[in-house]
Order: sequence, then structure tokens, then C-alpha cells
Amino acid sequence: MEHIKDNRWGLQKKLTSGKEYYEIRLESIGGLGANLCGKMLGELGIKYLDLNSSSFSSYGSEKTGTPVKGFIRYCDKAKEIRVHSPVVEPDLLVVFHQALLKDGIVWKGCGNETAVIVALEPGQALPEGLPGQLYGLKAQQIAMETHSRINVVMMGAVLKLMGLKSVEKGEQICRDTLGKKYPEALENNLQGLRRGYEEVGPLEQNVNSVKAAGEESKGQAREGIWGYETAPMGGINPRPGSTVVSDLSPSRQGYIPLFIQERCINCGLCLSTCPDMVFQFAKGEYKGREMMVNQGLDYYHCKGCLRCVDVCPVNALVRGIESEHPNKQYFLPNQELLRMPAYYEKAGPDGYITSESYLTEKRMEGGEV
Amino acid sequence: MKKQDMEYASGNEMAAIAIKQIGYDLMGYYPITPSTQIAENLDMMRADGDTDLVMIAAEGEHSAAGICYGASVAGGRVINATSANGLLYALEQLPVQSGTRYPMVMNVVCRTVSGPLSIKGDHSDIMYLLNTGWPILFASTVQQVYDFNIIALKLAEQVHLPVVVAYDGFFTSHQKGRCFRFAKDEDVKAFVGKKQEPYPFLDLEHPITVGSYMNEPDLMNNRYQMHLAMEQADRVLPKLFTDFGELSGRHYGKVESIGCEDAQKILVLLGSSYDTAMEAVEELRRSHEEEGDKVGTATLHVLRPFPGNELVERIGNAEHILVADRQDSYGAGGGNLSLEVRAALQRYGSKADVKSLIYGLGGKDFFKEDAKTMLSIAGDASWPDFAYYGVTPGVKAEEEGPLFAPVTRERTGIGATKVEKDEAKHLKVTGGNLNAVTAMPGRIAPGHGACPGCGIPVNLNLLLKGIEDPVVFLFQTGCGMIVTTAYPKTSFKVPYLHNLFQNGADTLSGVAEICYRKQQKGELPPGDIVFVMVSGDGGMDIGMGSALGTALRGHRLLIFEYDNGGYMNTGYQLSYSTPLGARSSTSHVGKKQYGKTFFNKDMPKIMAATGIPYVATVAESNPTDFIKKAAKAAHYAKTEGTAYIKAISACPLNWNDKPATERKVIEAAVNCCYFPLYEVEQGVTRLSYDPEKTGKKIPVSDWLSMMGRTKHLQKEEYRNVVDRMQKEIDARYRAIKKSAEEV
Repeated sequence: MEHIKDNRWGLQKKLTSGKEYYEIRLESIGGLGANLCGKMLGELGIKYLDLNSSSFSSYGSEKTGTPVKGFIRYCDKAKEIRVHSPVVEPDLLVVFHQALLKDGIVWKGCGNETAVIVALEPGQALPEGLPGQLYGLKAQQIAMETHSRINVVMMGAVLKLMGLKSVEKGEQICRDTLGKKYPEALENNLQGLRRGYEEVGPLEQNVNSVKAAGEESKGQAREGIWGYETAPMGGINPRPGSTVVSDLSPSRQGYIPLFIQERCINCGLCLSTCPDMVFQFAKGEYKGREMMVNQGLDYYHCKGCLRCVDVCPVNALVRGIESEHPNKQYFLPNQELLRMPAYYEKAGPDGYITSESYLTEKRMEGGEV
Repeated sequence: MKKQDMEYASGNEMAAIAIKQIGYDLMGYYPITPSTQIAENLDMMRADGDTDLVMIAAEGEHSAAGICYGASVAGGRVINATSANGLLYALEQLPVQSGTRYPMVMNVVCRTVSGPLSIKGDHSDIMYLLNTGWPILFASTVQQVYDFNIIALKLAEQVHLPVVVAYDGFFTSHQKGRCFRFAKDEDVKAFVGKKQEPYPFLDLEHPITVGSYMNEPDLMNNRYQMHLAMEQADRVLPKLFTDFGELSGRHYGKVESIGCEDAQKILVLLGSSYDTAMEAVEELRRSHEEEGDKVGTATLHVLRPFPGNELVERIGNAEHILVADRQDSYGAGGGNLSLEVRAALQRYGSKADVKSLIYGLGGKDFFKEDAKTMLSIAGDASWPDFAYYGVTPGVKAEEEGPLFAPVTRERTGIGATKVEKDEAKHLKVTGGNLNAVTAMPGRIAPGHGACPGCGIPVNLNLLLKGIEDPVVFLFQTGCGMIVTTAYPKTSFKVPYLHNLFQNGADTLSGVAEICYRKQQKGELPPGDIVFVMVSGDGGMDIGMGSALGTALRGHRLLIFEYDNGGYMNTGYQLSYSTPLGARSSTSHVGKKQYGKTFFNKDMPKIMAATGIPYVATVAESNPTDFIKKAAKAAHYAKTEGTAYIKAISACPLNWNDKPATERKVIEAAVNCCYFPLYEVEQGVTRLSYDPEKTGKKIPVSDWLSMMGRTKHLQKEEYRNVVDRMQKEIDARYRAIKKSAEEV
């Protein structure tokens, strides 16, 4: 482990103090490249760190906006890795999207000995009482400035926390992985990697709190209600429309449509293009005529695709930066609900399995052509 | 030992590498998770010119098995890969192949058998193969996937039987780790040797007949020959393992175990769990050294021929044995592994106390702690002989009241779109105004999990805006189904049924006929109901037979196809409706390949040929036309017979374009006449929109340039591909126009 420093949170300390594995868990959403980051980190172990390693992602991932988990294990190179289960108690937790911290399930299993790296979003406060030792960096900003991707920036930060003496080994694995396929993007990505390594730093947070702050998604707990004694047979689901309690805001990537009602001509094009049934029309009056009138948007279900902004003929829907609109005007929950749901559950789009061979760097958020 | 290189790879990647190194002739396949990556990786190698393997993307697993059978009869070296219901769909073909004694290799990447649909790993699929006459090797690690693929072909060709290499879906197929491959393909080829054909099929000088019609007593003798071949496999395997060990330094046996020599308690399980169990056993033996709590674990690398003797030699002296199965042979008191282990123990005279556990179904994770718990259950008299491990009873909770009011006929009859007959008895649709139809209550609730900008819900919503009667849905497998019904939630507010996508239309035929019968008998209230079968993600490939059968019989229902141009739910493999030249994960772009090599299927034309009363194409860029056609189709589906509507449906993720501007991309597909809008009503073709008349006609390359999947076609080197496509599009469009003008 000549390339690795002895630091409190680092890999060497952990592996020489009796732990069999040094375990990393990546928490991300599809489209940020966490899968590839995990693969590179894993490969780094066997290729350049003289360790044995393995990696995998939570399956059913990498659809844009879906929560994605990645797991990496390192151990002594003489040891075979025979554990294939997800990382439950990580030594290092890597959060690619600060908003994910709102859900307790993301930092489940973290304790005092866990180091946590958070991709910070400017202007957004961290939830209080997060466990572990917190580190952070403005990963999205670095990625934008260097024209790299957030996954390499986060990887740089991971290498620092693992205790790598320099970022050089990380550069090598990036060259191996990205250099052949995307030579034109390599230099920018290396730049992002270096800045991630350099700019990650400790955050002001209490190290000792292991008490769970926030709460685990209620929906997760709720799923346990249906077991073999209580679930209807055959997987039948007698709760019509129950996805309405899903709050899909985590799949937005910074932008929301803003409604300027005085411009609206109630043409209905927005509703015709919205995949997420966001627009709430009701009987009303427009220019003295009785017709269906756009009352507002159910932002619980808006995934921020901005199809509506693109089709609106009168700019009554415009693109806004979500963080600038903490209180969304015209936020109107689904008008067909008989009652407000007891809870809304944060959710991403459901994944199915995807194929890694096609998960190229070009499949970026928003689908960069 | 031959030189080897280290790889950081997954099971599927290593299978692909072995297949490439062996130098197979042909792969017939149909994508199904989690086995698809094998074909994807091979296609990538093909595109780069690293292999000349002939790859045939069949229209379903049954067809893929047929392609493979034909190719192996013809003397080719043949490979296939599948999983779960795909394997079951092909099942009928497997005894045909073994019974006529043609060797090939199939990778079975084990996944739970639907329904309810799940994509995760367990062993419920592979156990269906126990009686097919195929030897089955089971790899528990990524390395073994590679190694067994090489051994399997040699075994197959020695005993003239097709061989399966099985391994755990996801745990082994997708997890990456350290493994080794031979540095030179020649070393692999030399080990496998040259294929010998005892009766060359394509030798025209000495013609043979394969597949005789055979009765007793001959069939019995044929089967006995198969039994003898299986016994031969049992005899040659040790030598193959030894030879391979000399070549690779990795030594395998039919059975692998640790700690069993002196163990009192032994855990027997298959696949990647064995890896985890070894870790648990080592830990327990370390911690219990003084107390003498001796534990062991064993696994099988060969399921057929079942190595009962070898297994009992290892485990037969233990006091307590627990066999854990990742599947259940329902009603048999154990999974198939445990039944066979029990039989072997009895046969070879072991007195061990045996328990069976069912665990890890549907990919439920198996932790080291689980292995330890199982070892403690092994000696625990308070546990029954057969039990499920890891099930939860649930919590009795008060159901909260409904979130939505029922979507009744009264509520959906908003009168925004009307279908009437004019004087000439022609149907006339009025309305479809976009403002007015916003009053339609949702039959599908929000909160579904489609990707941002996905076209599927957009198309479904437009369709439903035009149907003012109650709707009953059947969805075939695909993104539309996955994202709406992830348990324990559902987006549907109206009756909904899923079936796998080779059978949706037929299934809905059954539903509709019972409804009509019950209405006739007065067991259900009268009133029109529109039965809608929704298919997409290539569902009209594997499900075309079912759709055509339904149409030919003329059931009163509506088949709605959202054509997103690929198997998007499994990560975008090519479907028959993927555009020519488009990149997909099974039609990569490289120096030897330009993307998909054949034209998109003209499904409306095929459906029209069945003579059903109504066929139409729709696009979200022409929403009012869409809604009116939905109303018309619903009318025919209620009153006359089968109707078919096809929408082109955007997939920002896999088309690789921007979610916000998808409607423009759809509009371009219409304006370049790749997706012309027309209808065939009672045999009469009508063009709904002619971009040539409005001056909006654009060349197809304009549309192709808007999507990442076809952007490469802008390059000069692919000009002939675009030209071919333009020609085909123009020809198809002219044909539609011509039929429309003939009216």
C-alpha cells in the first residue's frame, strides 16, 4: 500500500486494524455516472493499488433520475472477495446529490467511523445531525467549470478520503477507461478529477452524533405492511392510483417550469405534452367564456423535463431554477384526490435493468447529443 | 500452464470473452435481463472487428432456440444466452436439440420466473431444465463463468449433447471483480479442439434425415442412448476438469466444499451464496476452534449429470445437513436441490438429518449472517424439516380510504369528442379540442416512474382523452408497465392486467369475451367497455403472433402500440422497429458496423393486412388528430372488431436527445414521412396529414440528426445508409398516398 497514507478515515488504517474489507457506498441518481465511477474505483484496486477489489451497482438503475447505489469493496490482494451483498455499513459514503440526504435511507448504516462526502449544492443547508465525519465539495460547480462530469469530480474526492498520496493513480484509471472511448473529453475529466481531489474538505458538523436525524422515508416503512399474512394473494394491488403519493421532485435536475398565469390562454398544450399529469385544469372562465382553465401545477409529480416550457405558445410557462423558488407559486396538488395523502414519499423513476455496454459517458442528464 | 491476463470484469463480460475466444460461428439470441449483456458485449466486439460471430437477434426466445438448433444441425458452433421466462419460452425446443443429439452451449443467467414479474436472480428458471437432457454446469463465481464456458463446449462435443452453463443473475452476472483469461485465443481454441460431425448435415453427397417420426420401441431406445450419453458426460467430466486445471491452474470438481471432512453441520447451496457461505464457515471455524463446533459448506458445479456419489462422499458423514434452495418445487417439501440431495444421501446410505430451506427468492440478498443463521438452524430441532427463510408476515393495518373516486362512465363521458355516422354511414369524429379534453378524469394516476420527458405517458394520456367509455387495460411487459405498477403501488385507477409480451392480445381476447358473455347473461351491467391492449418496447416483435391471431379472430378490442423503437425497458437493444442505422446496445457503431442493419418494421401495414376494421397511426405532434383517431378506434373496438393504433413514442434516454424538445423530434419524424399519419378504415386508406402539401416535408437526415442514436449517420461514410433509408421511406409513403388516392 505504498501509494496510500495512513489517515484516520483512509483505507490503510481500516484494513490494518482488523477489518477484512474497506467498503464504499455511492448514493446517486441515474445520469450522474455513479455506475462508471464505481467501476473505475473497483478496477483501480486491482490494477494500481495492489489490492483485491470488487464493485457493483444497485440493479434497475441508471434511468435518468433514478436513485442509484454503487458498492465497492477492497481487501488484501491475497484474499478472495466472497461477499456479494450490498454494503450495509460503509467506511465511506459518497453522496452525489445533496438533496438525497433528505431521505434517511441514504445514510443508513453510517456511524461514527464513517466518512461521508457530499456533493454540495450552493445555498442549500445540510440536514442536521448527520452521522459520521462529513466532507464536502462543490462538485457540480467544479464539473461545470472544468467541463467534466460530476462522477470524476466525486472520484477525486473519494481518492483523497481513501488516503491516496496523489491523484496520479486515479488519472491512470481514467485514462484507461475514458481515454480510449472519449479522447476528446479526457483532459477535462482529468481536470475535474484533480480538482475533486484537491477541493474536498471537512464540513462543520458534529462527529459524535449517530442518532438518526430526519426520518427514513415513510413509504419504505410502509412497504413492510404487506407480508404473507396481509398482502392480497397473487400480488394483486387493490389500491387504485396509489403512485400519487410518490413525490418525484428528487428526479429534477435543478430546473422547474414556472407558471405565469396572466399570459396563459388555456390552450391545453402543456397538459397534452406533460408525461406526469402535473397541470390542474378545472372549469372556469377565461375572457368571459366558460372553459377549462389552468389552475396550477402539482410539483410533487413534476420531473422537470420542461416539455411544457417548450410547447407553450405564449411563454406562460418558463424555465426557472428550482433553488430560487423555495415557495412555488401555483403549486396545486392533484385536484382529483378525494383527500390529501397521509404522506408523500420521495421517489425516483423506477428502474429496470439497463445494459452497461450502452451506458456511455454521452448519456448525460438531459440526454446530451 | 498457459499465460493469462488479469481482467476486472463481470460474469456476463467473462462469458462474452470466452465465447469470443472459442470462436463460435453463430449466436441466436433474444434479449432478456440479466443475460442480455452477453450479446451486447459480443455485438460491441463485432462492431470493433474483434469477432466475426454471426449474431441473429431473433423475435423471441423460442425463435432464438430454433435458430441455434438449425445452426448446430448445420455443423456450426453455436451459443445462446437467456434467463427466466425467456428460458421457459424456449423450453420446448431444448429436448428437440438434445434428443437429436446436437451439441451447443447456452448460458442461463438465473433469474426468477414471473409472475408477478421480477428481474432479480434466483434458481426457479434453471430447475425447469433438469429433465431436458442437457448437462448443466453451475458457476458460482465470475471466474467459473469463463472457465465453465470453455469446458462446456468441449463436453458438449464429446458426448453430443447441448450443455448449459448456469450462474446467478446479477450476483455473478453483474458484479465485477478480479479474474483471469487466457492471453491467447489460440490456447482456448486448442483446448476445445476441432468440431467433429459424425453425420455432417450439409454433406450433399451423403444426405441424412434428422428428426424422424418415431414410435415405440424405437423412441425408448433413443432415450436410453441419451441416458447413456449423460452417463458418459459423468465419466468424462473429471478428465475435462483435470485437463483444464493443467491449462489454467484452476482445478475444479463436480462438487466443491470446505470444512466438510470433520463437519457436524453442513450447509449445501448453489451459486454465489456458496461463496458467502465459505466466508461464514471460515469465520465460525476460527471462532469455535476450541469448542469444536464443526461446520462446513458444499456446492455443486454440475447439476446434470447429478454427482450424487461425489456429494455424499463429502457430506454424508455429517450429523446435520441443511440444503438451502433459491427456488421451490411447490408441494414437494423442498426445492429441487434439496430433493435431489436427500435422494442421493439415502441412496448412498447416509444417516444424516436433513432440513430444507427456501431462501433468497427474487434476488433477496444473502448476507454472511444468513449463512451463519442457516448453519445454526441445521442442528436446531425446533425448526421443521422444511421452511421458508426470510419471509415476513406483514402488519395488520387499517386501510386508509380510497385516494380517488371510481372512474365511472358518467365521469368520463365529457362529450368533448363525438363519433357519429353521417348520411353515407361513414363515421365522423368531431371535437378533440385540447382545452375541452382537459376535463377527462385520469385513468392513470401521476407519480409513475417514467423517465423525465418519456413519451409513453404522453401517448397514453392522449389516447385516453379520446375514449369516453370505461377502459380495461392489458399491458404487455415494457417500460409502460414497469413504471406504473412497481409494487406496492399502482398508477392505474381502472382495471389493469399485465402479461408477458408474447401474449398480451390473446390474454385480452379472453378478458373481453368473458365480459361480453357476462353482460349477455346479465351478470354484469350492460354498457360499452373499451378493452385496450398496450404494447411497446418491441412487444410487436415477440407479441406479433398473438396480435395477429387476435386481429384475425376479430375480437372487439383496441391494440395500442407505443413505438419507442427499441427494447427500452432492458436498456435499449434493437427491436424490429428500430430505425435503420440506429445505434443500440445490440447494434453498436464501430469500424465494422454502422448500427442496425435492417429497416424498421411496417406494423400498421401488417395489421391492415388482417382486414380489421380500423388501423391508424398517431403522433403527439398532431394531438387533435390523435384524440379523434382514439375515439374512432374505440368505436370500432366496441362495435365491430379489433382496432389497432400505433403512436411513435419518444425515449429521451435511449434516443439520446433532450426531454424538453421531444415533441419537435416526433414532429420531424412525421414531417420526414418516417412516421406518416394515416388511417385504414374498413379497408379504405386516408392520409391524415401530408407534409408535402404543407411544405413541411424534410429529408430523413434532418430527423436523424436530432437524436444521439442516429447522429453518426450524418458522417459522409454512412451516406449510403441514409440514402437507402430515404428511398425506403419514400417508397412506403408513395404506397400509402397511392392507396389513399385510389379511393
